[in-house]
Amino acid sequence: MNVLEIKNLTKKFGDFIAVDNMSLAVQEGEIFGFLGSNGAGKSTTINMIAGLLQTNGGEIKILDKNIASHSKLAKMNIGIVPQDLAIYEDMTAYENVRFFAGLYGLRGAELKERVEEALVFVGLLDKQKSLPKDFSGGMKRRLNIACAIAHRPKLIIMDEPTVGIDPQSRNYILTSVRKLNEMGCTVIYTSHYMEEVEEICSRIAIMDHGKVIAEGTKEQLKAIITDTRDIWVEVKNTENLEEAALKEIKGVNSISIEENVIKINSQSEVNNLNHIIQFFISRLIEIRSLQEQAPNLETVFLTLTGRNLRD
Amino acid sequence: MNIFNIALIEFKHTIRDVRTLVFMLAFPIVMMLILGTALSTTFDKNIKIGKINVLYTEKTDISFSSPFHGFIKEAKKQDIHFKKAPHGLDGKKAVKQNHYDAYVVVTDKGVQFYGSERNSIQASIAEGMLSAFTDKYNLITEVAKEKPDQVQTVMASVSTTPGSYVKETSLNADKAPGSMDYYAVAMTTMIALYSAISASNLIRGERIRNTAVRLVIAPINKMEIFLGKILGSLALNLVCIMLVMAFSRFVFGADWGVHPGMVLLILFTEVFLAVSFGLGISYIIKADQGTRTILMIILQLSSFFGGAYFRIENADGILRFIMNLSPLTWAREALTKIIYNNDLTAALPVISLNLGISLLFLLFAVVAFRRREGL
Ligand SMILES: Nc1ncnc2c1ncn2[C@@H]1O[C@H](COP(=O)(O)OP(=O)(O)O)[C@@H](O)[C@H]1O
Ligand SMILES: [Mg+2]
Repeated sequence: MNVLEIKNLTKKFGDFIAVDNMSLAVQEGEIFGFLGSNGAGKSTTINMIAGLLQTNGGEIKILDKNIASHSKLAKMNIGIVPQDLAIYEDMTAYENVRFFAGLYGLRGAELKERVEEALVFVGLLDKQKSLPKDFSGGMKRRLNIACAIAHRPKLIIMDEPTVGIDPQSRNYILTSVRKLNEMGCTVIYTSHYMEEVEEICSRIAIMDHGKVIAEGTKEQLKAIITDTRDIWVEVKNTENLEEAALKEIKGVNSISIEENVIKINSQSEVNNLNHIIQFFISRLIEIRSLQEQAPNLETVFLTLTGRNLRD
Repeated sequence: MNIFNIALIEFKHTIRDVRTLVFMLAFPIVMMLILGTALSTTFDKNIKIGKINVLYTEKTDISFSSPFHGFIKEAKKQDIHFKKAPHGLDGKKAVKQNHYDAYVVVTDKGVQFYGSERNSIQASIAEGMLSAFTDKYNLITEVAKEKPDQVQTVMASVSTTPGSYVKETSLNADKAPGSMDYYAVAMTTMIALYSAISASNLIRGERIRNTAVRLVIAPINKMEIFLGKILGSLALNLVCIMLVMAFSRFVFGADWGVHPGMVLLILFTEVFLAVSFGLGISYIIKADQGTRTILMIILQLSSFFGGAYFRIENADGILRFIMNLSPLTWAREALTKIIYNNDLTAALPVISLNLGISLLFLLFAVVAFRRREGL
């Protein structure tokens, strides 16, 4: 079943088209990644799914029901973790979660249970009586998540939940996303951090200028990149290295040197590995290791758009 | 239920905001203390009312004439002297020229009353007694203040047992506000008006905090958010005002009269007015800083010309006109009449005015709110 289905979705701000005739389907049980640089239209898309913004054309279905005509059903089944924190800084963590969960019709003992469950989930139960204004950035982000999951939505949409936080909180959040997914939630995870999306998402859509420019599993996306490959050579020392001569080797596009690792980007169709090894041996540079790097999403993005993800 | 939850969170949220609390509680109390003490000499609590002179004309038959004459006799014991108008004398003019405190025309249907604006305390006392009297005879009193063309009919609502009219109203005959009494009422009505500030931030605050997002994506009606927010704000501001009142009453010994219910009702409608106004303004003026500035200017002017900081006496002409624009004036003068003259009829005009204007602003805010995407 499709938890979310978007057809020909468009959003304009004046003359500017933020989301451009976009179509997409997310199936039940997926962790679906939205990858795109700042301004790609990720948040705008999410805001339309959430009912925060009106569309300028197209259709959005949640659990096979059009959200325009079934807005209450859609809202009950979605939990949104907004990109910007949306919590009351001077209400305790517990009060925050309880208030927002209460808006979903939860009452009494059930409400209390769900609030505690959500706080346990994000690891803030021991801070339930503290005020978010005394929290670290990571703790606020986690509370932001707790407020979105206490009503047990079928679909959880996280809009850049790890922006500007410490690695520990980031790992905590990534782990919780996986846990939520194992518990049966479908998750849409938005980020401009390629590593995160690559790590947890089962399927990924790459967005650029309001359009989905590529969609599929990591493997499918990487298969797009067939024309170049990266070869990393670790050497004992780089003293006698003549960079210019290395670049002369047929098929080599570029090289970069980081400490003792020489990173060579080369055309795939040219079989020049022999020449490269020969280059080091003839100059008596001792090779410690040599490996061919698998392409990552960063290179996929670069290839598709000609830009780096974080530009 | 959602409305109640939203109201509760608004209440809790504001009550933890120390700045707002200091402003709504400590500020009026400190002002009362300072002004009430510093300016105490300018208020003479034991004003000697002295003799009250009322001119009257009878256009009535015998049946009503005799109780009226009985009333005149009773009144004389309280130093209220009725004098029959000589033929050809313009009674209203005589009042205007300050020869008399009031002029009364007695007809079959009831009593028309023209009180002096200058000697308003004396006029009020006479008016109160007359109201009680006519009440007994199920008549109506028509009251005007030197403006015969604007005669309003006021139902006398002072509930008195028959025969006790003179006694009851004259009990307070020499009661007048001392400085602390004055500033207790002035500061409380002022702070009621300042509810507009927190109200202007009711919905906008949610937007700035970004919590608006969660409210909008929740499966609740947008109007529930709106009503809940207003309810929470009303409740909180009313609690603040009651605390200020209680403090002024029990710590400073300020006089709040014997009709606390009516006093609270007037204050409640004033808070309602302020909250609707603040909310309305926040939709009329789009910029954050602009709203606050304009609101502060309006509130300061209303406070100043409403007599919050010092009593404006015997104002007329343009000054009186400006004073009458301030909701603080309406509320304060009505409260004074209720507290010092037991004149509950004074409540009706201010309550209707407050509610009427509130509804206008609220209507505007609702329309703007519903039109807007998000909150
Ligand atoms: N309310 C708005 N008014 C005008 N332009 C907007 C508005 N919201 C977003 N945009 C523009 O739409 C584009 C997409 O923004 P957004 O969806 O926030 O991107 P992302 O979340 O992928 O970083 C950006 O160029 C942004 O400037
Ligand atoms: Mg975004």
